[in-house]
Amino acid sequence: MANEFLEPITEQTFFLNMGPQHPSTHGVLRLFLKLDGEYIVEADPIIGYGHRGHEKMAESHLYEQFLPNTSRMDYLAGLILNHGYVAAVEKMAGIEVPPRAEYIRVICAELNRISSHLLWFGTFVMDLGGFTPFLYCFDDRENILDILDRVSGSRLTYSYCRFGGVARDVDDEFITATQQFIERLRSRWDDYHNLVTKNVIFIHRAKDVGVINRELALRFGCTGPILRAAGVPYDIRKAEPYSIYSELDFEIPTGSKGDALDRYLVRLQEMEQSLRIIEQALERLPDGAIKAAVPHKVRPPRGDYYFAVESARGAMGYYIVSDGTSYPYRLKARVPSYGNLQVLTEVLPGTLVADTISILGSIDIVVPEVDR
Amino acid sequence: MSLEDLKEELSKVVEPGDMVPRDYEKDGCLLEIKARADQVEAVAKAAREADCFLESITGVDFTNGPQIIYQFNSCTSISRVLVRVQLSRGESVVSIGSIYDAALWYEREVFELFGIRFDNHPDLRRLLLPEDADFYPLLKDYGKVHAFRSTEEIYGE
Amino acid sequence: MAEKEIAPGARVQLAVVEEVLNLCRANSLWPMTFGLACCAIEMMAAGASRFDLDRFGAGVFRPSPRQSDLMIVAGTIAKKMAPTIVTLWEQMPAPKWCIAMGNCAISGGPFEYDGQYAIVPGADLIVPVDVYVPGCPPRPEGLIQGFLALEDLITKGEKRNVLRRFKRRIVKGR
Repeated sequence: MANEFLEPITEQTFFLNMGPQHPSTHGVLRLFLKLDGEYIVEADPIIGYGHRGHEKMAESHLYEQFLPNTSRMDYLAGLILNHGYVAAVEKMAGIEVPPRAEYIRVICAELNRISSHLLWFGTFVMDLGGFTPFLYCFDDRENILDILDRVSGSRLTYSYCRFGGVARDVDDEFITATQQFIERLRSRWDDYHNLVTKNVIFIHRAKDVGVINRELALRFGCTGPILRAAGVPYDIRKAEPYSIYSELDFEIPTGSKGDALDRYLVRLQEMEQSLRIIEQALERLPDGAIKAAVPHKVRPPRGDYYFAVESARGAMGYYIVSDGTSYPYRLKARVPSYGNLQVLTEVLPGTLVADTISILGSIDIVVPEVDR
Repeated sequence: MSLEDLKEELSKVVEPGDMVPRDYEKDGCLLEIKARADQVEAVAKAAREADCFLESITGVDFTNGPQIIYQFNSCTSISRVLVRVQLSRGESVVSIGSIYDAALWYEREVFELFGIRFDNHPDLRRLLLPEDADFYPLLKDYGKVHAFRSTEEIYGE
Repeated sequence: MAEKEIAPGARVQLAVVEEVLNLCRANSLWPMTFGLACCAIEMMAAGASRFDLDRFGAGVFRPSPRQSDLMIVAGTIAKKMAPTIVTLWEQMPAPKWCIAMGNCAISGGPFEYDGQYAIVPGADLIVPVDVYVPGCPPRPEGLIQGFLALEDLITKGEKRNVLRRFKRRIVKGR
């Protein structure tokens, strides 16, 4: 702890420790707050309570062996991280992926993005005191997990993408189930908006709370819905189109002010855009192979590489240094939640303690992803 | 701001020979800058002038000393710039926390994982590891790794 | 001296009281809201709409260790987190139980390898564990199975847990 942090400024100054076990910190985050009455003077997020050493693990494991780790970093959107990792290694090793596999990857990744946003929606509203939307969201989320479970065999930590393709082909039932789900979720928007978006208590707790504007977001390297809520249409799917995203028609929803309500609305609109992507991809799903022929062990040529994808939380990048063997020499995962969480040190001072919950919830962090 | 603006800003602080264009299609970076430890602050200022954000700071350990990699990108056009700083063992770098707030945590992480000190950092505590940790886990002589190589073996220089 | 001896009859009665209490404890477990990593999401899913832990009397998730009697260690235990888990366990009032959920909490799971520096391989190294639920992460059904196993453990046998009505219904249907 820095010494000046612990210096009291008035007689009323006191310190509040939130976490690492706290119902609203979404995992094992610890916030150390310096308070003046009900107002926060200084905030110090303390992380590392979920540090598992993924990056060290990569240095003694094969490229293939590291694949399951990726979906355990950000377990809410594991497939997107899978996709990013295999796409990075494919780019390094020059592996061509059959088009059908690319489409399946995108469909599953977007389904995963919706399930991540649904969980965020439920927990965010639950943090603010509404329990019913949480049950509604989990009901919808279970439908996605059923679909993904069917193709990948897992509910949460998928490892479904493989180098050169995907592990298993999808069948007609997958396609009909996905189409049914799209209809189902679209019919639920009214419920969600009536329950939450139009709720006066919710609006009061989210509007003008935790404003993160463009300048602040860029100083802290925030990406994803936080940056978009500040009015910057930055999305890796559009900025550096990977996979088949350049062929698909979708929009990037943006906010204007960058407060908690904007972030909430941006994520809700993103779910609708993801549904559009899935619809288009299902329509155009080509026939053909789902996996290219790849060597038993990939050996990317020497050099360093960077590959980024848009995860549910923002820009997710892999920086890999290869020494020409089948083990990565160094693997760095640039995770979006890292910058998104660090911005709290600037946003929290000056707000009420009760707003901490709202701000933290609207930022949507996954702590094991921050800690890696 | 485009990559050209960034190049213009950067050419004021580093020699043109140290700016190496990279193949974006192949390895995802557009420009690589080989900087010395004392140029880091100026490079970061130039990137800030060109409206870039700091994507990440990381380290890589080699037999001839660790490297620090800074990555900058812009949210208006693709301009991913990779700044490579080769250090000798025990050498420290100037912190860029006053230019990019995001750097404060990244530098703490690099410090605890590689033992590289950052001068002028306001609060160089450990970030991910327990406060009493006395090891630098991502150094190649710690724990189990597959290989420990020099920069020539990987970049062929 | 004779007055201080406990009469045999009283001891028997106390044993019966203890059994009734155990029956109540087993069927109204109050788990602590305490997630470490991926498994926490499956724990939440087990408590939410489809799986509904309330059916087994275990849906009252308490955020405070002082109100709960069951700790579910759901996820990887980082070395930095281990002292906190011990503190939380010590803050819980007895009688208390612990479920190690997922491979990480059982033995370190996929993160345990030669040279690992960051995790504690297994919750049983720091707190006493009653039930182990394997899986990476376990499905909510798996966690529910773990809950049922714990209930049997508390009542000392499945047959003595007369409050498990759903079981009897299945038997009747056959």
